[in-house]
Amino acid sequence: MNLERFNRMLLESAGVGLAILDPDSLEILFGNRRFIEWFPGAAGAGTHLRDVIEDADAEKMEARFASGRTYTTEAKVKVKRREVTLATTISKSEHKDMPALIMECQNISKIKELEYMIESYSKMVEKQNRSLQAGKERVEKLLLNIMPKSVYEELKTFGVTTPQRYDDASVLMVDFVGFTDMAISQDPAGIISELNDIFTAFDRIAEQFGCERLKTIGDAYMAVSGIPEPTPDHAVNIAKLAVLMLRYLRRRNEAHRQEWLCRIGINSGPVIGSIVGVQKYVYDIFGPGVNLASRMEELSDPMQITLCEDMYPLIRNEFELTDLGVINVKGFGEKRIYSLDGGRGVLTLRSQGLADALPF
Amino acid sequence: MAISIFNRYGGFANVSKIVMEFYDLVLDSDIVGDYFLDVDMAGLIDHQTKFIASIMGGPASYTDEALERIHAHLDITETAFDEIVSLLRMTLEDFEMDPADVDQVIDGMRARQRYIVNA
Repeated sequence: MNLERFNRMLLESAGVGLAILDPDSLEILFGNRRFIEWFPGAAGAGTHLRDVIEDADAEKMEARFASGRTYTTEAKVKVKRREVTLATTISKSEHKDMPALIMECQNISKIKELEYMIESYSKMVEKQNRSLQAGKERVEKLLLNIMPKSVYEELKTFGVTTPQRYDDASVLMVDFVGFTDMAISQDPAGIISELNDIFTAFDRIAEQFGCERLKTIGDAYMAVSGIPEPTPDHAVNIAKLAVLMLRYLRRRNEAHRQEWLCRIGINSGPVIGSIVGVQKYVYDIFGPGVNLASRMEELSDPMQITLCEDMYPLIRNEFELTDLGVINVKGFGEKRIYSLDGGRGVLTLRSQGLADALPF
Repeated sequence: MAISIFNRYGGFANVSKIVMEFYDLVLDSDIVGDYFLDVDMAGLIDHQTKFIASIMGGPASYTDEALERIHAHLDITETAFDEIVSLLRMTLEDFEMDPADVDQVIDGMRARQRYIVNA
């Protein structure tokens, strides 16, 4: 076998597509078997470089050659159904003193396929991450509904929380008069929807005055101030909330067929705040401060706010209070109780403004 | 939650090989290859990556409605569907996947045949 024949075989069997071009006309003079496989049109005479690589830029190529470099570009061809990506390099050469251009084409489809696959996969993962993140935020929002943010942060960081004692806190309890009868005797869905409106309004008032709704049980609504962030105004905050809740209900009753009457009990005293439960978390408060508020609520007449001597000194300068005498409060002994009839001065005006802004 | 087949077989690093082989087999098949004639490589690879990831429990999933919508205009015959199933089985077996896992993947695909075959 002579060398020329060997070279020829080598050329034909190579995995690389090779072609020789006329440097002036850019006509393809010769292409090996692989090259013709990829560019069947180049088998005939007179095929121009542009016919195989559409975006070949002759000027750019010339400039590259002038600076002693090669011209590279990517071409896409379709072999049967498969898209094949070719990396092509054109370099200047000489053959027996005749200048010529040599074009080499490498099949880089596999690399391209991998590139696309990685791109596709990373987009998938990013999308999944985004939806996980959104899910996490939803869960966080839900958890913040049932526990204070500081307790949530503690739970997230340490996995557990410790019960906290709050010496200066105030609690408010509201309950509706005859709610059970209302719900049964009338359209229950409608009643619940109205209750939802009322609680939503309560939430808005609570937020305005540095109070927080802790929970609702059926038609009972419980709010706190001074927990978990301490505030020196906890008693006044809760009293304001109580006054405005009543005002809101009165105005609502004027405009609606269904009358809602409530009893409100408020109290200031030490409470313990803690998460209860392992699988089902509930943030709750305990202690005499809570129980006494509950007793005060029971003692209330409809549309009355009741409190006792424990809270009285904390709010007496800012609110109108009526002494209702001494009563034996179950579990607490004798206590002087008061009804809270409204705010004084500035408070009244400001409260009025807020009550007007609430939806009815 | 049970670890998905996708993760048990080494996640994307390994599953990518299944995608590549499956892509080759599909294009070479005279029964289904023509369905992909007008799809460019990037699109097809994207499709196959999501497909393999979703059937193996990777980070992609499609609702039945989405599957139905995606395939609605493609006139997919039962023969074509069977061919894809058998090519997939071949790929997974070449990959030396546990036969029980192969069955699970194939069963999952079969279960959703009615959302895909529409000709």
